[in-house]
Amino acid sequence: MQTNFSAEQLQDPGTARANEILRACVHCGFCTATCPTYQVLGDELDSPRGRIYLMKDMLENERVPDEKTVTHIDRCLSCLACMTTCPSGVHYMHLVDHARDYIERHYDRPWSDRALRWILSKILPYPMRFRLALLGARIGRPFARLMPDARLRAMLEMAPRQIPPVSRNDDPQTFAPEAPRKKRVALMTGCAQRALNTDINDATIRLLTRLGCEVVVAEGAGCCGALTHHMGKTGESHATAAKNIRAWVAEMDGKGLDAIVINTSGCGTTVKDYGHMFRGEPLAEDAARVSAIARDVSEVLMELDLPEGAPKDLTVAYHAACSLQHGQQIKTHPKDLLKRAGFSIVEPADAHLCCGSAGTYNLMQPAISKQLKDRKVQTLEAATPDVIAAGNIGCMMQIGGGTDVPVVHTAELLDWATGGPKPPAMRAAQTGVPILR
Amino acid sequence: MEMPEPDADVVSRKGHLVERLQNALPPGAVIHDTTELRAYECDALTAYTCPPLCAVLPTSTEEVAAVLRICHDEGVPVVPRGAGTSLAGGALATADAVMLGTARLNAVIETNYDDRYIRVQSGRTNLSVTGAVEERGFFYAPDPSSQLACAIAGNIAMNSGGAHCLKYGVTTNNLLGVTMVLVDGTVTEIGGAHLDAGGLDLLGLICGSEGQLGVVTEATLRILHKPEGARPVLMGYDSSEVAGQVVNDIIKAGVLPVAIEFMDRPCIEATEAFAKAGYPMCEALLIVEVEGSDAEIDEQLGLIMQIAARHDPVELREAKDADEAGRIWLGRKSAFGAMGQINDYMCLDGTIPVSELPFVLRRIAELAQEYGLAVANVFHAGDGNMHPLILYNANTPGEQEKCEALGADILRLCVEVGGCLTGEHGVGIEKRDLMLVQYGPDDLDAQMAVKDVFDPAWLLNAAKVFPLAASKSHRIAAE
Amino acid sequence: MSPISEYELAEALAGAHGPLRIRGGGTRTLDVDGGDTLSTGQMTGITLHEPGALTLVAKAGTPVSDIRAALRAENQRLAFEPMDHRPLLGTTGAPTIGGVVAGNVSGPRRIAVGAARDFMLGVRFVDGTGRILKNGGRVMKNVTGYDLVRLLTGSHGTLGVLSEVSLKVLPDVDAAATLLLSGLSDTQAVKALSAGLGSPFEITGAAHDPEAGETRLRIEGFANSVTYRAGRLRDLLAPFGRAEVQEGKAGTAETWAAIRDVTDFADRAGDVWRLSVKPSDAPALVARSGAETVRYDWGGGLVWLLMPEGVDLRANLGPFKGHATLIRADEETRRALPAFQPENPVLARLTAELRAKFDPRGVLNPGVMA
Repeated sequence: MQTNFSAEQLQDPGTARANEILRACVHCGFCTATCPTYQVLGDELDSPRGRIYLMKDMLENERVPDEKTVTHIDRCLSCLACMTTCPSGVHYMHLVDHARDYIERHYDRPWSDRALRWILSKILPYPMRFRLALLGARIGRPFARLMPDARLRAMLEMAPRQIPPVSRNDDPQTFAPEAPRKKRVALMTGCAQRALNTDINDATIRLLTRLGCEVVVAEGAGCCGALTHHMGKTGESHATAAKNIRAWVAEMDGKGLDAIVINTSGCGTTVKDYGHMFRGEPLAEDAARVSAIARDVSEVLMELDLPEGAPKDLTVAYHAACSLQHGQQIKTHPKDLLKRAGFSIVEPADAHLCCGSAGTYNLMQPAISKQLKDRKVQTLEAATPDVIAAGNIGCMMQIGGGTDVPVVHTAELLDWATGGPKPPAMRAAQTGVPILR
Repeated sequence: MEMPEPDADVVSRKGHLVERLQNALPPGAVIHDTTELRAYECDALTAYTCPPLCAVLPTSTEEVAAVLRICHDEGVPVVPRGAGTSLAGGALATADAVMLGTARLNAVIETNYDDRYIRVQSGRTNLSVTGAVEERGFFYAPDPSSQLACAIAGNIAMNSGGAHCLKYGVTTNNLLGVTMVLVDGTVTEIGGAHLDAGGLDLLGLICGSEGQLGVVTEATLRILHKPEGARPVLMGYDSSEVAGQVVNDIIKAGVLPVAIEFMDRPCIEATEAFAKAGYPMCEALLIVEVEGSDAEIDEQLGLIMQIAARHDPVELREAKDADEAGRIWLGRKSAFGAMGQINDYMCLDGTIPVSELPFVLRRIAELAQEYGLAVANVFHAGDGNMHPLILYNANTPGEQEKCEALGADILRLCVEVGGCLTGEHGVGIEKRDLMLVQYGPDDLDAQMAVKDVFDPAWLLNAAKVFPLAASKSHRIAAE
Repeated sequence: MSPISEYELAEALAGAHGPLRIRGGGTRTLDVDGGDTLSTGQMTGITLHEPGALTLVAKAGTPVSDIRAALRAENQRLAFEPMDHRPLLGTTGAPTIGGVVAGNVSGPRRIAVGAARDFMLGVRFVDGTGRILKNGGRVMKNVTGYDLVRLLTGSHGTLGVLSEVSLKVLPDVDAAATLLLSGLSDTQAVKALSAGLGSPFEITGAAHDPEAGETRLRIEGFANSVTYRAGRLRDLLAPFGRAEVQEGKAGTAETWAAIRDVTDFADRAGDVWRLSVKPSDAPALVARSGAETVRYDWGGGLVWLLMPEGVDLRANLGPFKGHATLIRADEETRRALPAFQPENPVLARLTAELRAKFDPRGVLNPGVMA
């Protein structure tokens, strides 16, 4: 596509990258077909192609973003289904991240927007604050209908009824392998996940050590920065990301690391992009090193000789998280692993579509998010599975909020199949005590 | 590209018009903000742009009828739009036009496996029509390259084809009936679930009329059971003449492959760099696919391989399994994307008699050299539908014009050898001014007389298909 | 009048003073309101046949038999197997390709490969004012401008007189076979045909004769493939009884030519109607048609009805989706009942206006399709 940036504009590395991306786009429209918001809203403006056009116009003319442009870009889930679909390799993720940063710098949001985004950015990435907030939400839930803002109501309604106790496994430490050591890996324990569901990290640690990994929870690592990054709060996201980079590089330069294992694919996509985020900055080289060894847990497991399990009379509906299937292009590993462990796998129709969780999207865009959730739950339940597996805490919370079928992390099932305990969510479902709802 | 002068009076009444449309449609169905309208200023042909006066997104036949009634009443031009994937600028607006988008008309209305048809709203995408019936083993046959995103509405407007039309035909051969809204808002059914017309074949006339005769809101489409299997074979040759001869011999031998795809050296090179499909570097590469049970495929491919071998191929490879079949198709399917990676391109769509392939390819290469532009060829060889891709840099001043001139020369060449300007993309805006190369003034007049009947005021997509000079008298008579 | 060239044809039409009956080989009856006969029978000859491109171009008056012979020499055929009306109507003459196109005449294979309209690549014709016009061309895919090719196909000479047509042809087949099921009710027969047509086994004919209680499906292709598919189909159709497989190309051709031409009705008194409907609707419509007997083709989508003389089939059917055409009746009945299904008012208006554009003086087959 033709672009109209001046030579001066192209001096800016962000703009130069945007130009490069826009030039690759041929405006063919294939991306519209797999975009969840286009499916729901049916408006070019709520499709990747339309947003690319809005972003192009805004960036070329260095316009102060207007309310409409911001509305349509805010509606983007960043699920990146468009990138899977694009035949021309348009890097939509870098473009929309750049545009969000531009909007954050040049657009005055209404105060309620600003307040909400500020609150989210100050709470979610911090497990202790988030725990407190969740407790508060439990108290506040009865008053939800008094809330004037649909988004605040959504936040209250989405808060889980049970909050697990803190897991000491998430503290910085090293877990010794239970089999001859094959790898030394760092586990990213995340932020929100540590407050919402401690079973995932517990299971991951058991599974990895059982299969011969020394697992390190590195001192100083925390939130990956994705939540704030997608709000365009570049300063904050870079600050948290930098902490991670330093923490992991210290381990890499110390006892060495074969991989940084991430079991929340939303975070994985971001950590794998640190190299790009920090390009041209002092941390660039370290960031690239970290990105180079960042792995989804399923990628690492594929290299660890997972024992073959006897066939089980249990149907698992596999939900492909967008960050995994589109962001990281990991499509078959989780299914292959589950099958190897003896589970029978079913997949929902339109597996490429987002469940509507998308980081803070379900809080910021509750109406669209709900439609996507309903679609996803409907297609998952159509296969009458015993359990739903996913590789991302956001999806698990979102889907769990709409179905009675237990939702667990892929790693929990694999842990169970190789000698670990049955995933607590499944045990609870059997006894009729709902969890994650 | 010359477009008719927008009607200043219509433009001045925008506020009033928007209000009327808003009153007739659900909330959020009328887009009128200047910034937002930019996204509707072009389809997949980005060389020409013009935002419409406003855009509407109706969800039902009744809403489409309401929009057309209002526009007819107000004398406002209407440009219908499917999914906006036209490579011919079929959905390019004028500044005084209401753009009528079908994106929200995406429901399946009825599936009938006994009588083998599906009825859908016209904004549904081509591939999702198959998606709605594939659980039962059925599919909708026309498969334009953009089938993932393109809408049935647009397929009908352009009478779209695809890679497999040698066996299954194009849209018009698979369309059984439509609900159409005429320009004044009248709703009518044409055809149905039965075959052929009881009177004049108006369904055949509507199909390919580029949104100029009415707006199709629902369509009844023929569905077929999928074949038991399909298998491609890849063959490489040292010259396009030989490859052309192979195509000719295969067809003459009585085999009817479902697809015969052709790629030339520039295309193979670009595709290899992008998709690494393992294609041989040669002048002409053919992918021939046949369908049926394993035994049937063996029988047909045996014959095809024999013919192919007789012509001294550089490479001859039959897909042994699904994996290899996937690899053989990989390069072909990523050809356009690969081109997009290296350059801007203009995709032509002329069709020629198959026997003229070698000559036309040679002439295209000569023309490209004269213009100093690169051309890559990838196309459906079985039916002679060529897709020369002219590579250029849109950011270099003057290249766009040079590219257009070369494109026009190539299309003239197609007509000269007995072919046509467009095989499946449609005339749109892109080839409008070349129509007199293929047709005489009387021929065009006869076509425009049809438009006079359906759309006496020339409100529907009026700036397309016919050269403005040729349509002028009709448009003036309309006023 | 019988012009020998397109130019003469144009002159004849430009100079026409009153209604003209447009005639090809004269094997079908069209009820034209008076007038001189304009025959295309002298405009003959195959102008182009490119077997490797599956293309044939011929002057409108070329006998279908000439075209069949030329194609046979290259092991090709007109895949839509146009019906020969002579036996049914008791007419003489030789069907011309122009007549086939003007009537959109097809046969049993229509259900699989399409009608005459689906094989049309281009037309040259002269309109009612004497203008020589062309549309389409000789290539397989062509969307340049409006599709007047299909508009002219099946227009029965009401929009223009064809001077030349360009067609897609297909390879002939090696082998053919017919599966025969016996004793099925109409409803069961249509279900059996639907099951076959909804399978991947490429049925190219699907007919039912309720009088003989015989239901037939045709398969064509390479010999091994025909045997294979016949076997698979027999299994698939087992719920409908044991199908007898009749192999052999010549025998199959004979069987299906008779189905195509409805020869069963040739020597029987009564009016003949042709009904095009959704297959699953057909048995119920037949039940209320008042027909003496019927023949189903196109998997039930085409019904040939032998009706008592002078009875209005459309009145018996009441409102239905599809169309009924009166094919054979005495003059009195033909005067009383329109041959073509009356259209809804919107389409009738569009049709009338189109005719007025192409034939402003109303000289082309007035009364036909009106």
